[in-house]
Amino acid sequence: MDQNRISTEEFWNPEHVVEKFWNGLKDGVIYAKKCKECGAIEFPPHHACNECGYHDTEWTTLKGTGMLKSFVFTGLLNARLELEDMGLKYVCGEVQFDEGPEMNAVILGINKKKGREIMDKLPVKVRPVFFDMGRYTTLFFELDEDEK
Amino acid sequence: MVHNVKLGQNMRSVSIVGVGATPFFNGITNKQYHGLTNGELFGYAALDAMKDAHVEPRDVQYFFHGSANPHVLNGCITPNLQVADWFGMRGKGSLSHSEGCCTGYIALEEAVMAVASGAYDIVLTGCGDQGTGMPDGNTPDHMRTALTTEVLFPDLDSIFDRAYGRYLGGGPGMNHDDWINFYARENGLTAEQVDDVLNHQAYHFRRAAELCPRAIRRTPFDQMAKDAGYDDVWEFMKSPHNPKMTQYLRTSSDSCVADGAACCIVVPTEIAHKYTDKPIEVLATGASVLDAIVPHLEKKATAEAARQVFEATGLTADDMDLLFVNDFIGSSAFLAAEEIGYLPKGEGWKSVLEGRIAFDGDKPMNTNGGRTSYGHAFGASGMADIFEAVTQMRGEAGERQIKKMPKHTFLRGFGGAQNVRATILRANF
Ligand SMILES: [Zn+2]
Repeated sequence: MDQNRISTEEFWNPEHVVEKFWNGLKDGVIYAKKCKECGAIEFPPHHACNECGYHDTEWTTLKGTGMLKSFVFTGLLNARLELEDMGLKYVCGEVQFDEGPEMNAVILGINKKKGREIMDKLPVKVRPVFFDMGRYTTLFFELDEDEK
Repeated sequence: MVHNVKLGQNMRSVSIVGVGATPFFNGITNKQYHGLTNGELFGYAALDAMKDAHVEPRDVQYFFHGSANPHVLNGCITPNLQVADWFGMRGKGSLSHSEGCCTGYIALEEAVMAVASGAYDIVLTGCGDQGTGMPDGNTPDHMRTALTTEVLFPDLDSIFDRAYGRYLGGGPGMNHDDWINFYARENGLTAEQVDDVLNHQAYHFRRAAELCPRAIRRTPFDQMAKDAGYDDVWEFMKSPHNPKMTQYLRTSSDSCVADGAACCIVVPTEIAHKYTDKPIEVLATGASVLDAIVPHLEKKATAEAARQVFEATGLTADDMDLLFVNDFIGSSAFLAAEEIGYLPKGEGWKSVLEGRIAFDGDKPMNTNGGRTSYGHAFGASGMADIFEAVTQMRGEAGERQIKKMPKHTFLRGFGGAQNVRATILRANF
């Protein structure tokens, strides 16, 4: 083979977007992308912008704080089995980051009583929980209440 | 998401000229049906559709096979070639596709495009799934065993985004109750009111299924209440006999898993009258797909798909005489009906309480009983809805025939966390 010929790995050296995201959570950093045209935050990070359909985005980070806008309790049919196995109290809800993007999320530490208490106060503040799942760290949330 | 899709006109109009369907049943517990295989089921439905269109297998040029999960439920990944020989189509072109519980609606969309493009004149499209069981080890197909939760539950996750979604908040959890929860808050409904609405809806869909021999759950709730010692059916519906499976959904609003297959034959509209006196034209199909990490994804995707199909056809919800909504999440039925405008905004729940959505009401929907009563054979469910839509539009639904002969029928497909389709059919006779 011609020694001067470009190697495949030099020819194509793409970013590992998903790997970077999960490694970031391990370090307590929430990576996202920002659209180079419309400025929308793409979360979780992907190559292109889903807000305006532009092809190019650049890296940014999120603080992880935001608002819980609605939530549901889970039952037999829709429980998060991995969390039930750990005996965790949680609800599933819609979180909007302070920077804009929204996602369905898991909010820890909310039992039925607490849930009923906050139901009429929505939206309420949440902050990130970098949760160790063993082989990876994921992003959950908890209520961001002033000292009690 | 960007809302700039404008559907074009097909190269030529396409119509449904034949339909066929097996009943939906439990192939594990029903002794008469135990041992039937995927190829046989799809074959029966396919041959029924051909008979209905007065064609022989030799006349059909291409077919589509849809199933939600051929690998786990049937131990195969290319079911099209494994079923082809059952209805005389060995050696012809075919294609397998799989879009979860939306498969049956996409089956029609795909077949229409194959004919609309001019590539084929007579196409069969069908779906089959055997949701109650799985292969009993590495054995011939008639040897099936009950699907265990150890196999099913971990596998259900495979409909959620594996890069991120299912490990963040996009897995189960919000999937069932997000929309009804959002709706209840938006419209000031109490938990008790939501319970009443969903129980009435299930009750009326069951009344239709009682009259539909292909449905899996046919015992009326009145009968079930009586048998359990309740004089008041609504008391029974709120009793431990009908337990809550999620925050809002009781067993009666949860789909009943089934086995079954359904097929239809599509041809260019210009030659449709050669095959049937009552061709059903497929006017257009709108489409939107959102992963489960997106809040209120079902509402958003339903609105987008409906926008596309109404724009393309120039019709409005007021033109629709009949509606089908894939309601394996029971609440989806009236919520989607409202979202597309078939029921008045913010007041659809009242129409449910008044029974207006029943087969004998003035806003009929899911006249086969829907997923909670007709049953849910995953990928086949959408095609079973198309079968029922065509049956109603031809005026052949017998005791459950809706009052006004439907000129237009709207189908809202949904599934696979989540693909959405919105199709409008027109009676072309
Ligand atoms: Zn953008």
